[in-house]
This record gives sequence, structure tokens and C-alpha cells, in this order.
Amino acid sequence: MTYRAILAASAALSFCLASAAASAQTADKSIALSNNYAGNSWRQAMINSWEEVTGKAVEDGIVGSADAFTTAENSATEQAAQLQNMILQGYDAIVLNSASPTALNGAVKEACDAGITVVSFDGVVTEPCAWRIAVDFKKMGSDQIEYLAERYPDGGKLLEIRGLPGTSVDEEIHAGIVEGVKAHPQFEVVREVQGDWTQTVAQKSVASVLASLPEVVGVVTQGGDGYGAAQAFKAAGREVPTIIMGNRHDELTWWKEQKDANGYETFSQSIAPGVSTLAFWVAQQILDGKDVPKDLVVPTLRIDQDGLAEGLEMTPEGGVTNQEYTQDQAAELISSAQ
Amino acid sequence: MTSRLAKFQSIWQSAPYAFAFIGAMVIFAITLIANQGSGAGQIVSAALAFGSFYALVGIGQMFVITSGPGNIDLSVPANIALSGAVAMSIMGGSDAMIPLGLLAALGCGAAIGCVNYALISVLRIPPIIATLSSSFVVQSLAIVYGRGLRITPPPFLAEIATGRVAGIPILSVLVIALAGVMALVLHRSIYGRFLKAIGQNMNAASLAGIRVGLVRFGTYVLCAIFAALCGVLLAAFSGGASLNMGEEYLLASIAVVVIGGTSVAGGFSNVSGIWGAALFLYLLVTMMNTLGVGTGLRQILTGLIIVAVITLAGSRRGVRE
Repeated sequence: MTYRAILAASAALSFCLASAAASAQTADKSIALSNNYAGNSWRQAMINSWEEVTGKAVEDGIVGSADAFTTAENSATEQAAQLQNMILQGYDAIVLNSASPTALNGAVKEACDAGITVVSFDGVVTEPCAWRIAVDFKKMGSDQIEYLAERYPDGGKLLEIRGLPGTSVDEEIHAGIVEGVKAHPQFEVVREVQGDWTQTVAQKSVASVLASLPEVVGVVTQGGDGYGAAQAFKAAGREVPTIIMGNRHDELTWWKEQKDANGYETFSQSIAPGVSTLAFWVAQQILDGKDVPKDLVVPTLRIDQDGLAEGLEMTPEGGVTNQEYTQDQAAELISSAQ
Repeated sequence: MTSRLAKFQSIWQSAPYAFAFIGAMVIFAITLIANQGSGAGQIVSAALAFGSFYALVGIGQMFVITSGPGNIDLSVPANIALSGAVAMSIMGGSDAMIPLGLLAALGCGAAIGCVNYALISVLRIPPIIATLSSSFVVQSLAIVYGRGLRITPPPFLAEIATGRVAGIPILSVLVIALAGVMALVLHRSIYGRFLKAIGQNMNAASLAGIRVGLVRFGTYVLCAIFAALCGVLLAAFSGGASLNMGEEYLLASIAVVVIGGTSVAGGFSNVSGIWGAALFLYLLVTMMNTLGVGTGLRQILTGLIIVAVITLAGSRRGVRE
């Protein structure tokens, strides 16, 4: 109780002093975003969120500057060169979405040696001197089975849609699904098709497997493929099973239509592109002298049946459900990890 | 061995498209056996529907490839993304606007074709580079224009793209008819003969009085219009345009041309092979999914099977001369 009271008091105090204290520490600090790719709607939203939140932070005098840089090609060598430029330009912190978990380690080490704080997120780096805000993709896989186990206690057959072959994200989500099925052996993945996180590819793959697919209770996915799967089931005149969605606008719109028409139930999850702003605040907190653990986990943005209308509002047309993070949320994440 | 090869060659000479159809049928048979004989109708129906898109882009690409060595159009995926987005936003989900939206998308395609040929002819950039660079520009336009675009297609257009009569997709009937027309254009029209003549020997064709530039110009525009049409129908088929919906059609458009028995060196082509190859490519995916092949092995098998079919197709080389 006393602990809570102290916490509340300190929170209130820090709230009062927040702008004064924080700006005193980091008002003249400059933070750069090094981003390896901008060619899809998720990355576009990520950059927009960064600009919006950091723009306000600069205006409020919390940091001196927060520039965003994106490499033209999704290549590690180019991004390493970009990092070296940033070191020469004398940034105080670099927030990094990396093209490779290992190939940038050398450049990251150089930055650390030059006294620069490096915070990697989404595409994290393994170099120990950098901070990591990683996504728990495995949990994104096992959570789907957990949900289905609640919906269908008797279990049943499942269809799995995989992502881009050979990527670690695909491997990890898949591993999470395998783990989930092991924990709930009443489920069985009867077919696995390739969806490439793309609606049209998923639609084609699912359509091609439908003729030989026994009745399934659920479709486990990786995001960006749920709407295509639904279209394929509909075109074949089959009842649409519970398809896990990935927070894309078309997926949520379809779900809403079905929910209104026949009470269709599922859930949806993805990482909000605004995670770039979480990384920004974490970097700011580190510059502010806070003690921050090196490994943090990004919370997934999950939409359940009740939150669908609200989730849809947070989703730009054609994009992914987004959420921008605040300084307080970053502080909360840091303290929960300690 | 030699006699078997000779047999292959004689099949090739009389019917260069045969291997695509034979391949498609073999794969179909394996799928049916794995599936205990059920679902044949559904598989064929889906193959016709998805094959229509491969066929559309393939026919356009085939005309370009026919016009001689080095000719290729890499702007197909970007074109599909932009045209689909333009059509969907102009139609705005209303049946009355379908003609206007379709016209705008095809116009958009024609413009891309004009730019492609201008780069090739005026700036003398090799086609592979010219169309690749124009595709970057077009894709960026599609991103700017189509950012956050997911407009539901008009009901009538969606019905044409996804509807079936007696199990046969309406779309496939239209595309087969279109393929028939294009076969006539290729083999019977003056334009088609000029095109093949240019593909076989550009200098000879030019000396014979063929206006080479004009024919090549028309061919690039034609290919771009086919890609644009594919973009519109694909958007209608998948419930709205998306930025990356054209991605898989870059390699697919070239693969169906080659598997279909058209000479990559130009000058010799056939339209029916495109359909054979389109069915082949789709049924290949179906077979892998039915057999439940894992993703890694699937890539290897897809590669090996395509190499096998093209190698058989390649045995005609040397016969032609």
C-alpha cells in the first residue's frame, strides 16, 4: 500500500516536473531514426507516426531534434554506411529498424564506442551494447491456438497460412503455432499454405487447397492474409471458419460486416506501426539517465470482438491499426521490465 | 535416346504448346490421385479462374517477347497496381461508373506503354532497364494515389470477375475468347505477321519496308493495356485494389510465355500455349498444397518442375533453323 502510495506520489510529482525535468536533461539532445525500408503501408505508417510524435516532442522542447532517415534499398551495407554518417554527424541517440540482426553489429558497436545510445526495434540487432525492443512473434503464434482452444474446447482441424518463406518472422510465428498445438493436442494443422502476408496470394493459395481440405474449425494466420482466405472460402461456397485476423483495414472491415450480418467471432492482432514512437521515448528515457534494461518486448495490439468498432477507428483505410505511444507508456514498459 | 528426342522435337514442331498442356494434365492427375479422385470439378473451376489472370498478362508479355531478342516488359506488376487502384477509385463501387473506370484504367495502361516505348526508342535505353525504371515510377504513383485505398468493386464487375455459370468462371470464358481473338491477330493479321517478321530479323523486316518502330510501339502499348485490364479484373476479383497485388505477376507473366512454347529469342509464338502454361502454374500450386509439401521443399520442387518443362521445351532448339 505504502509502495503504491509512493509510486502514485512520485508519478504525480514526475508529472508536474515532467516537462521541466525531462527537457532539462534532453532538450539539446538529437535523436535519429535509421530505417531500412519504406515500401509498404506498415512502414509508411511507422514513419508518419514517428514524424508526428517526435515533431511534437521537438516543439515542446523535450528533445532538440529527431530526424528520420530511410535507405533506398533494403540492404545492410547501405544502412551500415548510413549509421556511420550518423556517427560523424554526432547524434546522441540512434533509433534503428535494422535490415539484418547481425550485419549491422559492427556499425552499431562503432556508434556505441562513440558514446551514442542505439535503440533497435522491430528489426533488432544482436550487438550487446544496443537496446532491443523486440516483437514476441512466437507468442503471436501460440496466442492464436490459445484463443481457438477457448472457442472450441473439443478442438478440430486447422488450416495454417504461412508468411514469406525463409524469413525469421515466418519461422517464429510458425514455431509458436506448433508449440500451441502441442499444448492443445485436440487441434491438428491439416494443411499449410503460403500466403506471403499478401491478400491476393493468400486467396489463391487457400482456393487451391480447398478442394482437398477437410472441414476446418479455424485458420491460423500471420496477418495480411485473413481477408484473402475469407474471400477464397466464400468463392468456393464453403462456410467460413474462424479466421484469425491481422489488424489490416480490409480484414477488420470484413469482420465487422460479418459480425453485423451473422455474429461472426474472431480476434485480430499485430504490432502497431507506432512502435517507432515507443522506441523514440525509450531512447529519450535512456538519454535522460534512466536505467533501462537492454531487452524489452513490444506489446501486441490486440482487437477482440468487443473492441472491433474502436479498433476499426484506429485503422487508416488500407493500413494497419495504429497506436502512438506516449512518454508515460514507455516509462511503464521500462519499469515493468525491471 | 536420339529417337525419343526426335519424337519430342516432332511434337514441338507441330505443336509447341503441347508440353504445357501435357504438364498441366500430369499434375492434375497426381493431384486427383492424392485427393482420392474427389474435387476434380472444383479444382478445374479454380484453375480456370486464377489461370485467367496469368493468361491475360501472359498474352501481353508474349507479344512483346515475340518482337525480338531483348524485348520484355518489367512494368507489368506496377501497372497492375496503378490501374487497379485507378479503376476502383473512379468506379467508387457504382455499376454506372464501370465503363468510365475501365476506360481510365486502360488509358492509364496505354500511357505506361507509351512511356515505356519512349524510353526505349527516344532515349535508346534497353527494354529491360527502361521498363524496370518506369515500373519504379509507376509503383510510386500507385503508392501516392492508392495509399489507403480499398474500395469495394461495383457489384456487376465483381460478378463478372468471380461469378460462375454451371461451374465455369465467367471470367475464364471471356479471357479464352480474348485469347482466340489475339491468336487471330498474331497469326492472321498484317500486324501479327509484321511483328513475327521483326522478331525473326529486325533488319530484314525493316529493309522489306515494315515500319518497325510503329509496330514495336503498338506492341508495348498492347502489353501495357493487357496488364491494366488484368489489374482491373484482379481488383474486382479480390474485393478491391491493393498495392502489392501485382507482385507475383512479374515472373509469372514471363514464365507462362516460356512454358507455353514461345521462343524467348522472339519471332515464334503461340497463344494457346499461354493458357496451357497458366493452368500448369496454378495446378502446380494446387498439387503442392494437396500433397501437403512443406514450404522449403515446395520452392525446390516448383523450381525443378519448371526447369524440367522448359528443358523439354528447349529440345526444339536447332530444329527451327
